[in-house]
Amino acid sequence: MKKSNHKKLILAIGNTGRQDDGLGWNFAELVETMPGLDMDLEYRYQLQIEDAELIRHYNEVLVVDAYKGDGKQAFLFEPCTPAISFAYSTHALEIPAVLALCKQLYGKTPITYSLAIVGENWDLGIGLSEKGQNNLKAAFVFFEKKPFTMPIPEPQ
Amino acid sequence: MSQKITIDPVTRVEGHGRVTIHLDKDGNIQESRLHIVEFRGFERFIQGHPYWEVPMLVQRLCGICPVSHHLAAAKAIDRLHGLNAEDLSPTADKLRRLLHYGQIFQSHALHFFYLASPDLLFGINAPVGKRNVAAVAMADPELAKQGITMRKFGQEIIKALAGKRIHGILAVPGGTYKTFDPEERDYFLNGKDIPSIDTMIEWSKATVDFIKSYHDQHADLVDNFAAYPSGHLGLVDKNGGLELYDGRLRAIDHLGNRTLDDVYDADYADYFAEGVEPWTYLKFPYLRHLGRDKGWNRVGPLARLNVADHITTPLAEQERKIFAEATKGKPNNRTMHYHWARLIEILHCAEMMRDLLHDDLILGDDILREGKRQPKGIGIIEAPRGTLIHHYEADEKGKVTKANLIVSTTHNNEAMNRAVQEVANKHLARKKEITEPMLNQVEIAIRAYDPCLSCATHAMGQMPLHVSIYDHNDTIVHEKIKS
Repeated sequence: MKKSNHKKLILAIGNTGRQDDGLGWNFAELVETMPGLDMDLEYRYQLQIEDAELIRHYNEVLVVDAYKGDGKQAFLFEPCTPAISFAYSTHALEIPAVLALCKQLYGKTPITYSLAIVGENWDLGIGLSEKGQNNLKAAFVFFEKKPFTMPIPEPQ
Repeated sequence: MSQKITIDPVTRVEGHGRVTIHLDKDGNIQESRLHIVEFRGFERFIQGHPYWEVPMLVQRLCGICPVSHHLAAAKAIDRLHGLNAEDLSPTADKLRRLLHYGQIFQSHALHFFYLASPDLLFGINAPVGKRNVAAVAMADPELAKQGITMRKFGQEIIKALAGKRIHGILAVPGGTYKTFDPEERDYFLNGKDIPSIDTMIEWSKATVDFIKSYHDQHADLVDNFAAYPSGHLGLVDKNGGLELYDGRLRAIDHLGNRTLDDVYDADYADYFAEGVEPWTYLKFPYLRHLGRDKGWNRVGPLARLNVADHITTPLAEQERKIFAEATKGKPNNRTMHYHWARLIEILHCAEMMRDLLHDDLILGDDILREGKRQPKGIGIIEAPRGTLIHHYEADEKGKVTKANLIVSTTHNNEAMNRAVQEVANKHLARKKEITEPMLNQVEIAIRAYDPCLSCATHAMGQMPLHVSIYDHNDTIVHEKIKS
């Protein structure tokens, strides 16, 4: 398959050792099974400052993470823009802050979305809750329908 | 009327801690403490698991220094497997060391560029909104880019050896899981995809020059802030040189007298005890023969440079000599010199990585050795933040029956509490008003140690860190809380 010049990245955030906190990684694993995949995938426990250097190489970035929602929605999908907002520790870094660093240091602002999949169980343990599994399926169906420019699997 | 100050969370450290300072009615410091109050559970959690799983399991202690836990556990498990470090094949030994130097390199870069540099570049009194890496990026983009790239280089070494940047696997009982191939090696040498190891050495040297220049311009702050006498502990090689992966335990007192004379690492339990306090989950390790009051030590870059007679790589050794001149060859008890020592170690790690990357033995395929099972295994390494001890015992079926971890930040517990006391006495006592920059000084003293509080408590859960000032009626009069 010919690789597109339009470079895309999925940054999957999470921890499969903490039940639904693994939703981001589980999502990326599903994406990896897609035929004709033309994007890169990276797995993270949390965003890092050096991800500013990573994303500068891409035109589009999708950051997927688990989310402690109110249970009414399966997932939240929204565009992200650069904003300087730094927390107390490198353990906590938000997407707008990484985008702001990327813009500041490298003069690049890739089109960026966040996909936050709602979970409900966060204890130590392997495996998603039933609700987490259902929400993962819903998020993946949404992704496959390509309502945003991110996934463009070319015909085989 | 007395006051109590609380800083909660302490910022730009890894983990969640809380500082409380009690003032008497005249504003003098009655008592100051660094509390680590997260749940401690990993040592129990490991019990019952097969011992060969331990190097993988313990990485989950922390997302910042998993490689250090992986390697310390692997060395301990080697001994359960009947093998000492010198029994491993040269290829396995060198691959593990390359991983270790990559870890220390990236961790030190993270601390200096992301956590410490805002204080140095903008000063203690800078507005709180400016004291972060984004402001560093705006003020000095090239410095910020170098920091990010240096961190990335170390992480790429880890990824190449362990399969991923966090929680990968290289070490297995008796050796390593994989070896290096020429393409992997060229990635770090040719400078095509990422800056080469030679560039890392050049940049590391530049960061040492930066801190020396900073010292020249701010000698009073760097030499005197939170300075106090202490013991120092670290590993040394057989010739007394700086050793980060496998060596003998050496400690000195604040005057330089040996208090632990190059003892065999597996005998650590004969020499160390741990004190406990009801107000913190973090224990207080000390040398048994000196007792709790006199037997505590600092660990980490400053301590390592104090206990070592020399450094085995030329550029870092040159810088160590300059560093030693700052205290006329006497032990360095200046807390802010941790930053200087840390950057000399960055340079040392870069030089070691270069030497290992040029060593064809890392491409070998003799990577596993077999030994005879033993009931006990102890592994000690120098992690980025200091001496890291992993101790395991296993039954005849190979299930772990005992686990004891003494991590770097735990060794530094007494030292960090003394640092808080020192700063509180000098900068907070008898002040009419406690300002945010004053509270930041407490954090700066703690931050010099680069504490990893999640590791230290073996915690599970979120860990922001917070300073409170209480009056003599136990009423909070100042508080710094970030979440």
